[in-house]
Amino acid sequence: MEMTPALPRMHEREVGTHPDFLPAGRRTAAQVISRPSLTYWEDAWLRLKRNRQALASLGIVSALLLLTLVGPLFWRVDPAAQELNRISESPSFGVRARVIEEPGTYEELTRSDWPESPAAPERALEIPRAIGLLDEPSILAVRLRWEPVEGAAGYVIYRSDRAPEGAGSYGVPVGEVLGGNRLSYEDRFNLSPGEYYYTIVAKNGMEADRGITRKVVLEPGISLADAQLLRADARVGEILSLPSHPLGTDYLGRDLLARLMAGARISLFIGILAPLLWTFTGVLLGGFAGYAGGRVDGVLMRVTDLVMALPFLLFMILFKVVLGGGPGESGIVPMLLSMVVLSWTGPARLARGQVLQLRESEFIQASRLLGASPAWLLFRHLLPNTLGVILVSLTFSIPSAIFTEAFLSFIGMGVVPPTPSWGSMCNDGIQRFLTYPHEFLFPAVFISVTVLAFNLLGDGLRDALDPKMRSVS
Amino acid sequence: MKMRDRLLRVAAFTLGLLLAGAQGAFAAKNVLTYALSTEPPQLNSTKATDTESFFILGHIMEGLTRNGRDGETLPGVAEKWEISDRGATFHLRANARWSDGKPVTARDFVFAWRTAVDPKNASEYAFILYPVRNAEKINKGQLPVTELGVTAVDERTLKVVFEKPCGYFLGLTSFGTFMPVREDVYKAKGERYAAEAADLVSNGPFKLTSWVHGASLRMDRNPHYWNSAQISLEAIDIPYITPDNSARFNFFKAGKVDILAGLGKDDLPKAQSERMKMRNFSDGTLLFLEFNFREGRVTRNKKLRQAIAAVFNPQEYISRVVGIPGTKPGRGLIPAWLRGKKDLFRKEYPIADRRPDLARARALVAEARKELGVAQLPPLVWLTGDTPTAAKEAEYFQSVFKNALGIDLRIDKQIFKQRLAKMSTGDFDIVAAGWGPDYADPMTFAELFTSWNENNRGKYVSAEYDRLIRAAQATSDAGARMDAMAQAERLALEDVALLPTYERAVVFVMNDSLDGVIRHAVGPDPDFTRARFVSNGR
Repeated sequence: MEMTPALPRMHEREVGTHPDFLPAGRRTAAQVISRPSLTYWEDAWLRLKRNRQALASLGIVSALLLLTLVGPLFWRVDPAAQELNRISESPSFGVRARVIEEPGTYEELTRSDWPESPAAPERALEIPRAIGLLDEPSILAVRLRWEPVEGAAGYVIYRSDRAPEGAGSYGVPVGEVLGGNRLSYEDRFNLSPGEYYYTIVAKNGMEADRGITRKVVLEPGISLADAQLLRADARVGEILSLPSHPLGTDYLGRDLLARLMAGARISLFIGILAPLLWTFTGVLLGGFAGYAGGRVDGVLMRVTDLVMALPFLLFMILFKVVLGGGPGESGIVPMLLSMVVLSWTGPARLARGQVLQLRESEFIQASRLLGASPAWLLFRHLLPNTLGVILVSLTFSIPSAIFTEAFLSFIGMGVVPPTPSWGSMCNDGIQRFLTYPHEFLFPAVFISVTVLAFNLLGDGLRDALDPKMRSVS
Repeated sequence: MKMRDRLLRVAAFTLGLLLAGAQGAFAAKNVLTYALSTEPPQLNSTKATDTESFFILGHIMEGLTRNGRDGETLPGVAEKWEISDRGATFHLRANARWSDGKPVTARDFVFAWRTAVDPKNASEYAFILYPVRNAEKINKGQLPVTELGVTAVDERTLKVVFEKPCGYFLGLTSFGTFMPVREDVYKAKGERYAAEAADLVSNGPFKLTSWVHGASLRMDRNPHYWNSAQISLEAIDIPYITPDNSARFNFFKAGKVDILAGLGKDDLPKAQSERMKMRNFSDGTLLFLEFNFREGRVTRNKKLRQAIAAVFNPQEYISRVVGIPGTKPGRGLIPAWLRGKKDLFRKEYPIADRRPDLARARALVAEARKELGVAQLPPLVWLTGDTPTAAKEAEYFQSVFKNALGIDLRIDKQIFKQRLAKMSTGDFDIVAAGWGPDYADPMTFAELFTSWNENNRGKYVSAEYDRLIRAAQATSDAGARMDAMAQAERLALEDVALLPTYERAVVFVMNDSLDGVIRHAVGPDPDFTRARFVSNGR
């Protein structure tokens, strides 16, 4: 406040000249504003910067936005491309595989001097005496052969990825040959690099208890036809580097990183656009109700009560079904609309309360006395003064919107395939969580971290934007 | 004194409860627990169409005959019969009874069969009775139901007159639609018949005692069943109904169910690491894509259907996507396990393996667009079930269609009942369908694509196909029948009325102490009627 120079002099004259009451010298230096004055926003930013949690969250949120917008420019993998021979692979970099030729035609081994379907023997069937391979096993085909068993009318071929521990633990029955004189089998079923234990069990009506086991190790390989899709001049015997999957692949061999990026788009699109829309709608309606007051206010607030009383998830699903269009059509726009229809009430109440409070305050009255128009009052005084509160409610509604989208997609009410979303990826992943945990963990971690970051950021913003907590120093 | 008295009473009551609990634990060894993948949509035997319903009906009802361990026909309600080219006479056993103690009579069969062909009942399985005289005319509303060629000579004699010679009629008599229905109960319950456990009476080894829709079912031994002494199980308890394979797997792992009828692809590694004893079984079902031939559907265009067939790669699909060992590629309409004249039908009428041909598929799609006069084909609606497996298979096709043909696929996932309803109303372009055999004759598949079959969901109509099937049905000469059906099959494949994808196999696991469980390709599967616990396993 500027000093009025006239005032002390008047005092001087009236009070007399006691030394205690001598006028202070003009200390103008103390009145100089040494630091730049802080606007509301500058101060808020200062305070936010001091909040480490909020700052870290801001970093995470920015990184997510970057990943969504810029990531696909660098990681140019189609999220819908299926690599069917690399299903549910763990995270990998530059796997190398040998280009192998499609194996020659398979000719079954039979013994003409052996009975095809003998009568069931009295005693239990024996174990085949030997098990071998017809030719070099590869990831494309494993060709087994074995010695015949007396009295057998067929053989069952089991396969396991771990060494069997006696009867009953031979693994998956991959095939069966009918005929005691047929002594070979070609396995082409879903082979992947690694160890396999093949067991042959003789059968005649009933299966024998025990069989003979052989271990087969399959090297990483890629068929010539597939290799030529990667590089046109690929040749047999050459070692090729397969495409990397830094976060692994899913149940149809799709790249998880690419899918997470595509999913982030959906999640952030809904997560940011929906709260923006509903906050805008809410503030507009609430501000109007608060400003107009009276009957308009009453009607609008009863509508708000009504909408608030609706069970959120139930109506969310109902709206989605009604607005959803035909089967298999994208559910993003209906989801957005129903979120706005159901969620505008919170910000509306908030804005109405603020406006009601401000409407009666002195500076508004002064402004009104000076002849300000309602529009001026609304846009110059009322809205800016409610902005802080509204911004805070906005930041808190973003994580809840992301979560709602994830939840709806998780239960199959959200996006439709092939569009990925974090929620639907979780749903796909959880079914095979025990076998391939990475398919579930990555999207789940993304959802959790994003929701947490937005919440912490909202917390920080609330503190920063609260005028009562303005910095004193 | 009074207080002590009360205490004593409470103690006695508690002891009683404990004893009852212990008794329950002993009895539990004779109760088989099982999990269904979906709620049975229809337990009215004259209207049921699906495997889940027939599984329940096969345990709570019994027809004139029943299926044995190897698919042979065993006496059921009928203890003996005479059968000829003209008709058959069944002699019902005197001690066959309903669950309320009343005897099963020949009239119960007459009523059931008449109801099944009654056009008012609109049963989708009416066609299966067409071998009975006048059945087809009655079903089309040309004759009253009383004209059906089946009569109750007396309480215990049922006489059937055939429309034309039918070589496989005996095999039909164990089928659900041929099961008896009690007229008084059916009429008293009206629309509510078989809607709840209390709304039906049964004559089978078990009776339905509890049915919480969508949640659980329980079947207790039926003491009035004529062969009740041979039934070892106290009850079949189905406390879980879930389409989720891995949930069912966890129930089995935790010992909450005794048998898992089919493991999901993703459960195989888990079962391996748990070292479970796995068994393989081909359930006889053919899986195929069915196209919609109704007015206004682009799938009416033959070139488009041919393009879809040309792009399909069975080897990749079975090995990588279906992923259940033992699955065979679907070559034709008639699955490989059915018998023809002397040997297997497929050996007598071989069909070459399907190989994908991308260039040809693209050319065909271009022609289809020209014929339809569109620059871009509209998205196709792919109707399928709500199981994770069905979704995965649909997503595979979605990618293939998009990449190879440039066609968008909209996946319409529906629960079983709703999917059946949508299939009947034709609310789809392509449906991933499956058909399990009703009896062990190629006709059970061949008849599917006739114009009069309600299960011809795509409404494929071909006069030549109809003619061939009629010819096959009009004779009992095996050679002529098989030749006609093979011709019809070739025609359907040329027209791409369907695209066979695979013949299903299941890998299953069960409690080690469980014995006598029968897996049927034909009939209720799995069949628990003769199951028993041999030792105190688990």
